[in-house]
Amino acid sequence: MKRRRKREAKTTRKLLYVVERDVRLFFQYKVMVIMRAIWFVSQIAFFGLIASRMVAVEDYFRYYVGGLSIMTLYSAAIFIGFDIYEEAEHGVFEYLLSLPVTRRQLVLGRSIGGGLRAFIYVGPLVCISLYVIGIVNPLNFLLALFSLFLFAFGVSGMSITLAVVIKSSDRFDILMGVLDALIVRLSTAMYPLSFVKEANPLYGWIANFNPVTFAADLFRWGAGIEAALSFENPLLPFLGIVMFFAFFTFLGIILYDKTIEGGGWR
Amino acid sequence: MPPIIRTENLTKRFGNFTAVDHLNLEVNEGEILGLLGPNGAGKTTTILMLATVIRPTEGTAYVGGYDVRKNPDKVRELLGVAFQEPKLLWVSTSWDVVNWHAKVCGLSTQERKRRVREVLEALDMWDYRHRSVHALSGGMRKRVEIAKVLIQRPKIAIVDEPTAQIDIVGKHKIWRMLRELREEGTTIILATNELYEADVLSDRVGIMHRGKLLVCDTPQKLKDSIVGGDIVEIQFESDPSPKIVEELEHFREVVKIIKTKASTLRLYLNRVEEVVPKIMSTLMKEGVAVSSIRMSEPSLDDVFAHYTGLTLEEAQKEGG
Repeated sequence: MKRRRKREAKTTRKLLYVVERDVRLFFQYKVMVIMRAIWFVSQIAFFGLIASRMVAVEDYFRYYVGGLSIMTLYSAAIFIGFDIYEEAEHGVFEYLLSLPVTRRQLVLGRSIGGGLRAFIYVGPLVCISLYVIGIVNPLNFLLALFSLFLFAFGVSGMSITLAVVIKSSDRFDILMGVLDALIVRLSTAMYPLSFVKEANPLYGWIANFNPVTFAADLFRWGAGIEAALSFENPLLPFLGIVMFFAFFTFLGIILYDKTIEGGGWR
Repeated sequence: MPPIIRTENLTKRFGNFTAVDHLNLEVNEGEILGLLGPNGAGKTTTILMLATVIRPTEGTAYVGGYDVRKNPDKVRELLGVAFQEPKLLWVSTSWDVVNWHAKVCGLSTQERKRRVREVLEALDMWDYRHRSVHALSGGMRKRVEIAKVLIQRPKIAIVDEPTAQIDIVGKHKIWRMLRELREEGTTIILATNELYEADVLSDRVGIMHRGKLLVCDTPQKLKDSIVGGDIVEIQFESDPSPKIVEELEHFREVVKIIKTKASTLRLYLNRVEEVVPKIMSTLMKEGVAVSSIRMSEPSLDDVFAHYTGLTLEEAQKEGG
């Protein structure tokens, strides 16, 4: 029993070290971090302010700020996939694979690390959003934050999965651009679901099951932006995010194990 | 004692190219085994298979009793690898790299701090520890790479060309530290294409060429395995008589005698260190005056040439 507990503690510690590495690494890309923060603030200060004057949706500015936070979280969590290519290029991948950590610890740690660093990064930006939006119900907001946590892990798990499967940084880059267009644009990050459905029922159907929609609407619900929410029961998007997180984390572990073990990533 | 590493027909193919071809190798616990061969000989691929980074196409290897195919996690617990090319992200600092490596390899906080400082100081890297990797020279990056293993002190250390790009003073430091690591009980596999490095560090040397292990033994035995590989040149004060030449030819170890000058004989023989005293005593008994004697033994380059028909330099060119 004691030995088992000791082994579990050791396993957890190793997992945390993998998480720590990815978090620290992200913030070493100082220029990128600063540029993205500038982008975020500019989007609110220019696009949000200007667009809200020409859009007929009630309280669109606050609506947009909520969606923008999720879009930023999404793009920061995706970044881990690019790290994988960077590491492959510098041979760091081989190094990571030679370490006394299991492949599961490695992919789970990286998935959590990728999500956590995106969350930490978006944290101050979310604070800006909250300053703009204001919080109505702190309890709701905590649940929304937790689901955003899972959303970020899910996105980073998805990014890792795609990176190890695609094996080409150029193709990955293109795919991420396309995916960004599909996932973010066909969600409620920038416009309410009713408008999406109105444009095309198929778009509406996709947006309805899109994890970005779940995250954006939960965030708005948590922040008290009740106008134009796409759900009545917050449990549904929450479950959607849990499923998204679980799917990509476990798929990531399996694919990572199968693809990476044995040098298949080469 | 069973070998700590044993490979059984270990093979790796990349498409039609066979990088490692049915390698059968045993590494004894506590020894430094040098894997000597030109670029493209299959040393690094062998290392990557032992480290469970890539999977063998055929055959397997047992590391510390664990099969690399079936128990890769257990194998990695025993290993520490210093790669040929430093595996560092350019935004990281040397400190970040070695400190995180020590953490993930399970060193306690106190031990980690002590060893990181000790090793970085010994490698003259302490003052540069907060510099990002891109600001370091190739030699410095290589030092950071080797520092990881020296800090970790694994049961089995695999070091791939540990002193490439490092100046001569640095080379000696690293060699000393590797010897100390071995004295502390670590088994070391040293992959190198530097003959001198293999010779001075290794207890045994395995020569690899085109993915195959040609021979594996102590450097001395490898040199001795070249029949007539040792050379002794004896300069006499006057022409040696045919009787003397005949007597010298009677030594079992002597393979060939050539008269290079009127008063000089060149003897091609084996085990120079054993036979020279015998030759000297024969010459003294016969009252023959010798003005000088010069000995040379084959180098590992000669051994490599003997087994491959190529010098290491030629093989290097061939391997690209």
